[in-house]
Amino acid sequence: MPKEVLIKIKNVEKTYSTGEVAVRALLGVSFEIFLGDFLIIVGRNGSGKSTLLRQIGLLDTPDAGEIIINNQNVVKISDKERSEIRLKKIGYVFQDYALMSDLTAIENVMLPAMMLERTADARKMATRLIEKVGLKDRSNNLPNQLSGGEQQKVAIARALVNNPEIIIADEPTANLDLKAAREVIEIFKNLNREGHTIVMVTHEEDEERSASRIIELIDGQILTE
Amino acid sequence: MKSEAKIPFFLINRYLLRGNKWKLFLIIFLMAAAFINLVFVTSLFGGIIEMTNRQIINTYTGNIMIAPKEGSDFIEDLDSKLKKIDQINEVLARSAQVSVPASLESRNIKRSWPILVINPDDEKRLTNISEKIIEGEYLAQDDVDKIIIGRQIAGGDGVEMNAFSFRGAKVGDKVTMAFDGVSKEYTVKGIFYSKFLDTDERAFITEKSLKELVPDFYDNKASSIILKTAKGNEDRTIELLKEMGLSENFYTWEDVAGLMKTVTESFLSINILLSTVGVLIAAFTIFIVIYIDIVSKRQQIGILRAIGIKPYLINALYVMQTVVYSCFGVILGGIIFFGILVPYFNHYPFSLPIGDATLVINYGELIIRTETIIIVAILAGLIPAVTTTKMKLLEAIWGR
Repeated sequence: MPKEVLIKIKNVEKTYSTGEVAVRALLGVSFEIFLGDFLIIVGRNGSGKSTLLRQIGLLDTPDAGEIIINNQNVVKISDKERSEIRLKKIGYVFQDYALMSDLTAIENVMLPAMMLERTADARKMATRLIEKVGLKDRSNNLPNQLSGGEQQKVAIARALVNNPEIIIADEPTANLDLKAAREVIEIFKNLNREGHTIVMVTHEEDEERSASRIIELIDGQILTE
Repeated sequence: MKSEAKIPFFLINRYLLRGNKWKLFLIIFLMAAAFINLVFVTSLFGGIIEMTNRQIINTYTGNIMIAPKEGSDFIEDLDSKLKKIDQINEVLARSAQVSVPASLESRNIKRSWPILVINPDDEKRLTNISEKIIEGEYLAQDDVDKIIIGRQIAGGDGVEMNAFSFRGAKVGDKVTMAFDGVSKEYTVKGIFYSKFLDTDERAFITEKSLKELVPDFYDNKASSIILKTAKGNEDRTIELLKEMGLSENFYTWEDVAGLMKTVTESFLSINILLSTVGVLIAAFTIFIVIYIDIVSKRQQIGILRAIGIKPYLINALYVMQTVVYSCFGVILGGIIFFGILVPYFNHYPFSLPIGDATLVINYGELIIRTETIIIVAILAGLIPAVTTTKMKLLEAIWGR
């Protein structure tokens, strides 16, 4: 039985301008992400892996090519529509957690859910996820009262709260110690086992073993899959 | 309420509860200062205008002045006219005055000043000159050789018109009044100081005194009758006076004010100019502070966008936040203004040559200034928020 395609990336190109120098970060990248994948994107610094992830996560717009989600090319859609997709279909985990500093752990998690649900329901959903990532006792702490690993777990819970089709994680363990990194990776593995599709960029060879697929990028192009 | 509409309220609540309290206080204090700046100048001019009007009414013209018909020097048949005036409920007090074309001489200085013949009791009910005696006493009904003079006539050190005065006349000094070929010596019974220059250049004697001096002159007539009414009731009272058959000339205190009216109109123009400058200064200050506050939150705005919060909600969040800042600023400014500044200046008024000015502001002006602060704050919040929600998402997240 063929796998269900969640996202189709076709000939995506991206060039950044840094002053007078133009850096071609992606040179016509094409691949598909299937339902239930644990896809890890690897590559050296500057290979374009984070750039690729930001295009898939709709945080940035490619210069050329197509990104098709649910039969819709999301490259040309409006900001409002992109917000809607980021809210409902994509959970994004940032390398530096990107938590709201004035919100507690539970409030950070429930915030995206409040866009769709009543506050009480959003809180229930957030509580369940906070417990799932093992932060039940830290739920009322502000981000600056949490360790890096704990903040990343909050970020993962936030990414999951609206039950998105895909979770995108950009080097989620890069700022964590070994123990915290293993815990975070374990969470991703469990999520994948539960049926979540995960796309992750990493530098760590250990983490590559968790993947069901690995894409290696070099100089903005896919070297191997 | 649409589910997502609660997001700005939720976030504002958290920002206010958990944000930096000092920063919050400083922003609110700045808003309060901007509000006070706008209100203070207006209320000062309001106070000067109010004081000027009060001085004119209370020391000079009353609310209405009745003058002789065209071609006549006097209001004739005074007694019957006063009886008619007394029948009008709107008239709270009235005083007939006779202006005497006389000169005063004392200390070898002889000058002409406006000398008014009054009924001291009537005048006491109408003007507050009896309360402004700084030396000696006010006139009594039976005084026949007593005169009260304004501070500008008495003169002395620090008196504005000292060069044109008796240069230091005291209570008990003798003053000779020359009038219509006769003269009489009066004793200065009191010196008054209303702080209204025109009033303080006047002298008063009693009816009885004039009758004794020139028995034929004062014969049931007056140069003017001044009336006290409730403020704002002047036009209605004039209508009633006409209905009662009085055919003299009627002037409201504003008509009589003349030069002072021009001065108050100038104050209004200056007030508008200074208020405009005040609004611009407040606008730029508030804008810069709010702009810096929001730009410092650019990364947080980026995160909100990244997790799918719609731009209009983020804009609403920051607009509402500035509305909260400005409302608290106006409340704090109001407390400082009405709780500290107004009582202080009531106790220690600005001493001006035409009187003591306090801070007076009407509700209309207060509302306009409150709206100004809030509108400026909304724009100051909206512009940087819209700019940030329209910039590239990655740049916002990276706080660039």
